[in-house]
Amino acid sequence: MINKFVKFAQHHALKNSKKIILLAISITIFIGSGIRFILLDDNVMNMLPANIESKRVWEDIVQEFKYSDFLFVVFGTKGQNVLTKEKLAIAWDLTKSFGLINQVEEVISISTINRIDSDDGFLEVNKVMPSKYLNSLEIQSLKDYLNSNSNLSSQIISKNKDYISIIIRPKNEQEFSNLVASVKEATKPYENLYEFHYGGQPYIAGTVPQLIQTETRKLMLLGLFIMSIILLINLRNFSAVCMILLLITMSLVSMLGFLGWAFYFTDSKYFFFSFINSSMPIVLLTIANSDGVHMLSRFFREIRNKQNKTIAIKKTMHKLLLPIFLTSLTTSAAFLTMLTSPIPTMSGYGISIGFGILWAWILSSVFLPALINLKTWDFSSKAFLKPSILEKLVNSISNIILQYPKRVLSFGIIILFVSSFGIPKINVEVNLINLFKPGNIIRESTMFLDHELAGSMNLLIKVEGDIKDPKLLNQMIIIQDYLETIPSVNTTVSIANVVKEMHKTIMFGEPRYDNIPNNKDKINNLFTMYSPTGDPEDFGSLVNYEYNTGIITAMMHTISTREIIHLNDQINNFLISKTPNVNIEISGLMMFLKDFVNLVVQSSITSIITSIIVILCIIWIFFRQFKFGFLSIIPLISAVLLNFGLMGWFKIDLTHFTALLTAIIIGVGVDFSIHYISAYINHIKKNTSKNNITEKVINDVGYPILLDVFSNMAFSALIFSTLIPLVDMGGLMIFAMLSTSFGTLTILASIMEINKNKLYKINQK
Amino acid sequence: MTKYSILIIIFNLLFGLTGYELIQKMETRLKPIDSKTDFTMTLTNKKGKTRSCTLRSISKNDGARQIIWFLSPADDKGVALLKIEHKNKLDEMHIWLPAFKRVRRIAPSKRSNSFMGSDLSYEDLSSRKIDEFNYTIIDEFKNDNPTYLLEIIPKKHLETEYSRHLTWIDSTLLIPIKEKSFDKENKLLKEKYFTYSLISDYQILKEVRVKNIQTNHSTSLVFSNIILNNDIKNNFFNEKNLKYIPN
Repeated sequence: MINKFVKFAQHHALKNSKKIILLAISITIFIGSGIRFILLDDNVMNMLPANIESKRVWEDIVQEFKYSDFLFVVFGTKGQNVLTKEKLAIAWDLTKSFGLINQVEEVISISTINRIDSDDGFLEVNKVMPSKYLNSLEIQSLKDYLNSNSNLSSQIISKNKDYISIIIRPKNEQEFSNLVASVKEATKPYENLYEFHYGGQPYIAGTVPQLIQTETRKLMLLGLFIMSIILLINLRNFSAVCMILLLITMSLVSMLGFLGWAFYFTDSKYFFFSFINSSMPIVLLTIANSDGVHMLSRFFREIRNKQNKTIAIKKTMHKLLLPIFLTSLTTSAAFLTMLTSPIPTMSGYGISIGFGILWAWILSSVFLPALINLKTWDFSSKAFLKPSILEKLVNSISNIILQYPKRVLSFGIIILFVSSFGIPKINVEVNLINLFKPGNIIRESTMFLDHELAGSMNLLIKVEGDIKDPKLLNQMIIIQDYLETIPSVNTTVSIANVVKEMHKTIMFGEPRYDNIPNNKDKINNLFTMYSPTGDPEDFGSLVNYEYNTGIITAMMHTISTREIIHLNDQINNFLISKTPNVNIEISGLMMFLKDFVNLVVQSSITSIITSIIVILCIIWIFFRQFKFGFLSIIPLISAVLLNFGLMGWFKIDLTHFTALLTAIIIGVGVDFSIHYISAYINHIKKNTSKNNITEKVINDVGYPILLDVFSNMAFSALIFSTLIPLVDMGGLMIFAMLSTSFGTLTILASIMEINKNKLYKINQK
Repeated sequence: MTKYSILIIIFNLLFGLTGYELIQKMETRLKPIDSKTDFTMTLTNKKGKTRSCTLRSISKNDGARQIIWFLSPADDKGVALLKIEHKNKLDEMHIWLPAFKRVRRIAPSKRSNSFMGSDLSYEDLSSRKIDEFNYTIIDEFKNDNPTYLLEIIPKKHLETEYSRHLTWIDSTLLIPIKEKSFDKENKLLKEKYFTYSLISDYQILKEVRVKNIQTNHSTSLVFSNIILNNDIKNNFFNEKNLKYIPN
């Protein structure tokens, strides 16, 4: 079957070169035209599966109450009083402008919130800011009210009263990027007058995807440039480098086009382009590069031996089409294992990259040979006559392995052993704010909100029961009091606070009545009392329409994922021990992040194990011997261990981005081991002497492997990013390339060298 | 349509009824001195969830003096609200809270505040003072149910949540049957529908349906057990009478 395909490919690549090129370009353009259907998705929530507990509770809350993740806009000047006529008027205008934005459900600010006063026996529900321009008496009254209501004040005014916070509640989680753009448009006229800070999950979600895409695009181009230079230094032929780049570009275009078409036909969120998908081009690029490098370096080697273009192409195709097919098949299969990922976007990610890899295989098998055939090569150039720097390095490696196979293996095992001790040290981090380096404007703004205001992360506790029952309201107060003892929690709010405030107000402001009334009738009376002057809908975010579900909202500092996990356990233990009979569910950003950590870890482990099993089976089937299947996964396992171990030792966090590096390791690692094993089997079949088979194999595949490794290392350019995950990816790319080549050229090579007698016997059988 | 409307306005100015005259005629319509009625108020939010309560009201002088008692739900039963409007000073409001056994004065509400969480504001509930608005008949429908379409624009000094109203008036009975009210940005805010029944020669409201177009929240008030001209004295409207629900 494969032989038939090889002959078919050889025939058409050599006889119908122009037609093949035209056809490949046309198909690529057609598939690539799907790019226009790509839907950019900035919603982190879509990365969570529907059945996850915190998401289910969240959706119940949004359905029953309102959307509960806020965008914060803070303005003022450090050290200067913000409660002035002018600044209050600006807050009034901004609140009004934000309210006119389509995606905005509600704006909570000093100009929209109510105050409940008990003045001279009157109960009065009124606006904290009754009009745009306040006189000095009204400003003083406002200050007094805020001073006596620290809970309310901490949400809308900074601790030093020098900044005003305007809280925007989006209608839903759609189009955060448009929301952020509209908000910034509204604040633009005032940006020269005051400092502005923005924060909250909708802001980060609306800003980060674009930022990541822009940074990735910029740094990827830099990476491609460096890659081209490395290829040029080693291949020493401009056309050859262009051919590899063309192959890579066509694969990328097809992959992205496929994603677009897949979304067009399925309308499924699996095929959204989220910020995780920003890493797709880099992943495919490294894999497509491998195919091109192997083909061209082999072609150069064959020319050096044969001096005939047609024969060299035929030989190259004969030797490489099977391993390239196998590497493509195994890598695609490895990516398709992402279908098992609990993160929906990862399934679309895996399918699209799988398609891109298969298209890269077709292009390397037919299109690239056709291009090589059409080109007139100068066989007298240095590129064909003399080995490159890396080829010389390969010779040295093969000599070492040949002379000291056991020592090389022991050395490899020791490195793996030491490195694997780093694995338990890996820190999992999925909090978006930690994507940014200190000094980054988004990170600093969030830190500002954390320190000066109530914070930008929330925790929602849904409490079910009769919300007018004093027992339940007191339980809510107990929970709130406990939450407020946690250092990262700045403030909490619930309907229980409102009941307490109304109770105090109705009892002429006496502090001893700042509590929950002792019977339900009184609580009922308080709510009824509110309705003639206030709107009961004011409580819409605290209690549902039927008064059988309430929400406690805790506003918190941004904390690390590790702290989130610890805090979650702490809160759960408290709720179980202190409020065992209350029906309580927890949600909010903090809980999503906690659940997302589990998903990332679960997804990574599942993907690694499934990929390795799939690869083992494919190689076993194709080479018809289990031992080759087993051998092929040794470099993968060692590369994975080495890479994760190094992550632990070098304190690189496991994030939803860096977890994807596993895919590159497996994708590239399996390529190397298949090329090595395939070349080894070819040499056994050619009856190459046992004594120099390793040298021959390393001479055949060592150079393209190293060239691939060094050219892919160009993506270490990502370390120049301002986004930590991209920096980590850049660093990890070096680890990944070193670990995969190390796995193949040391561990696999030395094991095969040590066991060459057995391997020869197997083949003879 | 615009040309047609202009022609009607000119025609009305020259030969027919003006908006102001129409309102004057409506004002002279026969009204009861006092009334006692039960009504069910049903609030429906944008998600279709409803909340109902039944109230009993005794009022005099077109609602200038009024006591409302909560009959149901059981949680609210006994809570009562007294309202007395004054011409030259702020209105008085008192609430009786049976669980606290206390009467509390409530600060006079802003006219635009919602009445008991409904889509009716206090402004909607109070009668419009004739000289505080400009009136224009902008259309007249002479079909089976002849109606005037009256545009009512508040005068500049008036504190109001509305920029204008379009009111459909039954030209025979001279009662409003439908009204669209627009906010200060001239966006449609509320739609109100009024249904009447004839009791003792008076056209008495039987049902009011209000929908806030902007919040998609609606309110329906259905009146029953209506007793008119029961010779309620002015001194009935005091705090003492809040504490007992009359039969």
